[in-house]
Amino acid sequence: MPDPTPIIAVKDICKTFEIPGRPPVHALRHVSNHVDKGEVLVVIGPSGSGKSTFLRALNGLQPIDSGSIVIDGVELTDAKTDHNKLRQGVGMVFQHFNLFQHKTALENITMPQMVVLKRTKAEAGEIGNRLLARVGIADKGDSYPSELSGGQQQRVAIARSLAMTPKVMLFDEATSALDPETVGGVLELMKDLAAEGTTMVVVTHEMGFAREAGDRVTFMDDGAIVEEGTPEAIFDNPQHERTQLFLSQII
Amino acid sequence: MLEVIVSTMPFLLEGLWVTFEISMITIFFGSLIGVLVGMLRTLNYAVINVPLGAYIHALRGTPFLIHLYFVYFMLPATGISWLQLEAFPAAVIALSLYTSTYVAEIVRGAIQAVPRGQGEAARSTGMTALQSMWYVVLPQALKLMIPPMGGVYVIIIKGTSIVSVIGIAELVRAGEHATQRHPRELMLIYGMTALMYFAYCYPVLRLARWAETKYGGVRLPS
Repeated sequence: MPDPTPIIAVKDICKTFEIPGRPPVHALRHVSNHVDKGEVLVVIGPSGSGKSTFLRALNGLQPIDSGSIVIDGVELTDAKTDHNKLRQGVGMVFQHFNLFQHKTALENITMPQMVVLKRTKAEAGEIGNRLLARVGIADKGDSYPSELSGGQQQRVAIARSLAMTPKVMLFDEATSALDPETVGGVLELMKDLAAEGTTMVVVTHEMGFAREAGDRVTFMDDGAIVEEGTPEAIFDNPQHERTQLFLSQII
Repeated sequence: MLEVIVSTMPFLLEGLWVTFEISMITIFFGSLIGVLVGMLRTLNYAVINVPLGAYIHALRGTPFLIHLYFVYFMLPATGISWLQLEAFPAAVIALSLYTSTYVAEIVRGAIQAVPRGQGEAARSTGMTALQSMWYVVLPQALKLMIPPMGGVYVIIIKGTSIVSVIGIAELVRAGEHATQRHPRELMLIYGMTALMYFAYCYPVLRLARWAETKYGGVRLPS
């Protein structure tokens, strides 16, 4: 059961992208949300609905125009906040893995630990090897990203984030770029993390995952939250017309 | 013929040494300034970018000979004492600035060619902008820089021949002197001069090629 102390509290955030010569894109319109400790929040919605922008705002990769984001008691929009320190506590897994191409799988996991947490090479290596085993690719430590399949690369990326012992893990369409046969394994890994009580915010198109692993589902469209509730409520009995339309199109 | 070779060789070697000095100093300072300018340009602050962009385009869009005349003849004409430069420093300054504009564009292009996600992933682990640049972006940009950098260095080495116009006794100038002493051996003397340039430039290109395979080679699956 999620512990009802919010790790993330988002209040009334807005973001508009101004592109010269084109109408402005309102990616986030007064979005508010919260994530409790141990909770798995799944964000769904059509492409361009603002869900990735929302996720990227949570670790400051995407600056916002207005509103407030509090991560574990720290206000992210405060000019005095140390964003680097804050990002340490917020792991992020990307659609395209973004593994450091010039480093082996193990080095991808050890390098940030050594640079950011000042762990020794031995400590970082021990943690790295344990995490590689944890994500199911103990034998791939010496491989370069270009030698790994998409699924294996994403496992390394998850291990790289976990090595920083984050308070929250953000997943930005983590399985969208994978070959169909490797999607299942990565989703299983994410379900395991959820079952262990990891606090997660997951942007995904995998409705099976949302239903099974999600504690709460938020449906976004056109930069705003349209509807949210338990997976059962959203999938079995959507209230809003746009939610119904979206679900009917993708299931 | 052998006698001509033996008698002119010392002069040509002296010229080669001057060419070596000028080009090495120029490559050093030109690269230093160029790397700095190139990195600053990737920050995308208009306050920095506009003047640096103007600097790069002004120098790249005008001939080096004009820069050389500017530094050696026009600056002293201002009457300011510290701008009265000797030929050697004037040549090095003009060439270094010229080199820096080419290096800057190579550095900027290589940094921008590293996918954005690499820096984002680094930042999301808590690395600072500088750490992300140093540990993640630059090492990957470096391998993209090596081949064009080797090319620019060789062009600069050969380009130093232009500084002979302000009286510096570099290799081409030394060759000219030798032809005045042996007017019938033009072919031989200029042939020797060309060979010396080649003997200097070829290893530089080989070195770039070696560095490329060592640091930048595509990693084949083992």
